[in-house]
Amino acid sequence: MTLQIVLLSGLVVFSAAAVLFRDLLRAAICLAAASLFLGIIFFRMNAPYVGAFEISVVAGLITVLFIVTIALTKTEGGVRESKTASWAFPLFFIIFLIIDFIVTRSLLGRVPALASPPEPGTFGEALWKVRTFDLVGQIGVIFAGVLSVLALFRKRGNDE
Amino acid sequence: MNSTWLLYMAFAALLVFMGIYCLLTMRNLVKLFIGVEIISKGVSLALVATGFVKQNILTAQAITVTFIVIEVSVVATALAIIINVYRHTGSLDIRKLSKLKG
Repeated sequence: MTLQIVLLSGLVVFSAAAVLFRDLLRAAICLAAASLFLGIIFFRMNAPYVGAFEISVVAGLITVLFIVTIALTKTEGGVRESKTASWAFPLFFIIFLIIDFIVTRSLLGRVPALASPPEPGTFGEALWKVRTFDLVGQIGVIFAGVLSVLALFRKRGNDE
Repeated sequence: MNSTWLLYMAFAALLVFMGIYCLLTMRNLVKLFIGVEIISKGVSLALVATGFVKQNILTAQAITVTFIVIEVSVVATALAIIINVYRHTGSLDIRKLSKLKG
């Protein structure tokens, strides 16, 4: 459990760094590192498939997409972030941490144990038999994403 | 069991808070999507942690995989829109978008 808390803290620290870094490239790399921590946490929670997905897709593919966007938009788009936001972040973070701690402590023992019988079978059976319609939705979402990117980058015709 | 679940939920809430703070205070469009990514990390942590504690890890994994696929699709579309916005306005400042006409 101690290692899990260390990993969760690492996830929070890298996420905070992604929010606070002014340099977008560094922020994107911190986000990838946070995804790596989350992937390891998933592996340790007996969820290897989603851990592999998190590391390959979120830490890999999404970071590449972010870096390509940063490269195409250059010089951070000429945006000056407000300095107050960076200075106020630790204050709000500590306030939220205290609220989080108080709420969690007050809920301890009050939330009913949500135990359910363990599932039989494998991940493949759960995905293909129990959540079949999710796969149809996933295919639809992937096609929608591809078509929207194609639509956004289409070239203008001669008649326009 | 209950305390483990609440620990994960506390960390997930912290991630969602940081993402919302980023969305509320930052001006750069790419930074705003980094905020959305951090929120989605908190949500996927909450999903898998609930499945882990309830011993329904297989269903939780299936749902989280679906969530990650949707996340990738949304990010790809959003970043394409951001590049188009930059080509039109020459800036990534969210405040300039409110001044656009038509």
